[in-house]
Amino acid sequence: MKILMSVVFLGLSFGALAQEEGSLDVRTVVQKEEVVINEDGKSENRLVAVESVVPGERVFYTITFTNVGEEPAENVVITNPIAAELSYVEGSAFGPGMEVEFSVDGGATFANAADLTVTEGGETRAAGPDDFTHIRWVMQGELNTGSQGTARFAAVLN
Amino acid sequence: MNVRNDRKIFLRLLSRITAVGLLLFPAVSALAAGTAVGTPIVNSATVDYDLGGTPLTITSNTTTITVAERLDVVVTLQSGPVLVAANDLNQSILFTVTNTGNGSEVILLAMNSVIAGDDFDPTPAVPDIYFDSDGSGDLSVGDVPYNPGVNDPNLAADASVDVLIVNDIPGIVVNGNIGRSELSASASTGTGAPGTVYALQGDGGTDAVVGASGAADLQVGEYLVSDVLIAVAKAQTVADPFGGTQPIPGATLTYTMTVEVQSAGVATASVLRDPIPAFSTYVPGSITLNGTPITDAIDADAGELDTTVVPTVVVRLGDLTLVDGIQTIVFQVTID
Repeated sequence: MKILMSVVFLGLSFGALAQEEGSLDVRTVVQKEEVVINEDGKSENRLVAVESVVPGERVFYTITFTNVGEEPAENVVITNPIAAELSYVEGSAFGPGMEVEFSVDGGATFANAADLTVTEGGETRAAGPDDFTHIRWVMQGELNTGSQGTARFAAVLN
Repeated sequence: MNVRNDRKIFLRLLSRITAVGLLLFPAVSALAAGTAVGTPIVNSATVDYDLGGTPLTITSNTTTITVAERLDVVVTLQSGPVLVAANDLNQSILFTVTNTGNGSEVILLAMNSVIAGDDFDPTPAVPDIYFDSDGSGDLSVGDVPYNPGVNDPNLAADASVDVLIVNDIPGIVVNGNIGRSELSASASTGTGAPGTVYALQGDGGTDAVVGASGAADLQVGEYLVSDVLIAVAKAQTVADPFGGTQPIPGATLTYTMTVEVQSAGVATASVLRDPIPAFSTYVPGSITLNGTPITDAIDADAGELDTTVVPTVVVRLGDLTLVDGIQTIVFQVTID
């Protein structure tokens, strides 16, 4: 009797875990660009792993998310706070099938870059890349099972 | 001579830009040291989504990259051409050496007085480099000599040190000759093409990476032989409001300055500047040069009252020689 009940219990909890965490697999990678000579002898830019970076260098963040569950995921929104030591590179954020928005108020509100303003000392001006505190990518449409999405942006180390 | 100096700097800049282009290293402002070495840059993303109407959140892994040490050095010339005469000893030129990288760095200094394109080679004094320890801007007692390998300056990010290079002037020079001497400074961790990595040799064991400056810089200073003998004399007369000569408030002081070249050679572009004394007020329109009135305003004539800082009588005397004789400048002030 006791053994049967434990098996049932285990089955239930496993199912709950799958629903809460197992449906989307999300990974972030940070890289930098290097010029390499390819097989044809031509120089090209490639993204390579980075561990250390000096002020002035540009790094590229790539967020990859995959639907590993059994249902489509809807209203997928990726939010990435921009580290204080980084300056977002204007125009570098993109993601296929996604709308890119920014926040200048610590993530409380988001809007298109062109619509953001900043008020300083009583004067309001258009927000620039140095004002952005967060980026987010809003997926248009659903992410089907087995599908993968990519969001990327670049920033320069102050 | 100025054209030649500019061309040298232009060529050096060209080679730096080429190297930067290949290594995708954006130009860095010379003033900003940047994020401190060793700072971790942490990033992660959050994904919000709905599954069958239930809102869920998942956070990605966290990436951490560490700020490495960027090696950058800037040398700035602080002295204009230093006026010297033949056989002068211990003539100094002032520079500032700045660590424009983002970590602490021991800086190596060197002087070179054999520079192409000038009229004479200054003779290095021994020692040839000093720190301007007392901040006087020139070589004085109390300035500490630089001893390579013993007291190389250890500069924190954005810190700087004032350095004097010291030379003697040879005997066979003539008025107008220029002698050049340069100060070079380099990061002791290493120099080279921007982007060169000195693995694990940065502060705290991070990597050290050569920045856009190549982790080294040099600037050229000039000595200008100026041995024309110029005699300047100043006399004053006092006229008080009561017909006497008491220097009391309200009295008018008339200053007469004479300038005379008394040797061979040309005193090029001579300018006389005399600040209005404290506790007195300049009498408008009172400047004359050799009897001709000079307007107070800055215009096409030979002088003006310069009011940008302390009110100063400025009279341009041009290129003076022995033949020009005595130049007389007069102006008046009243005692406050």
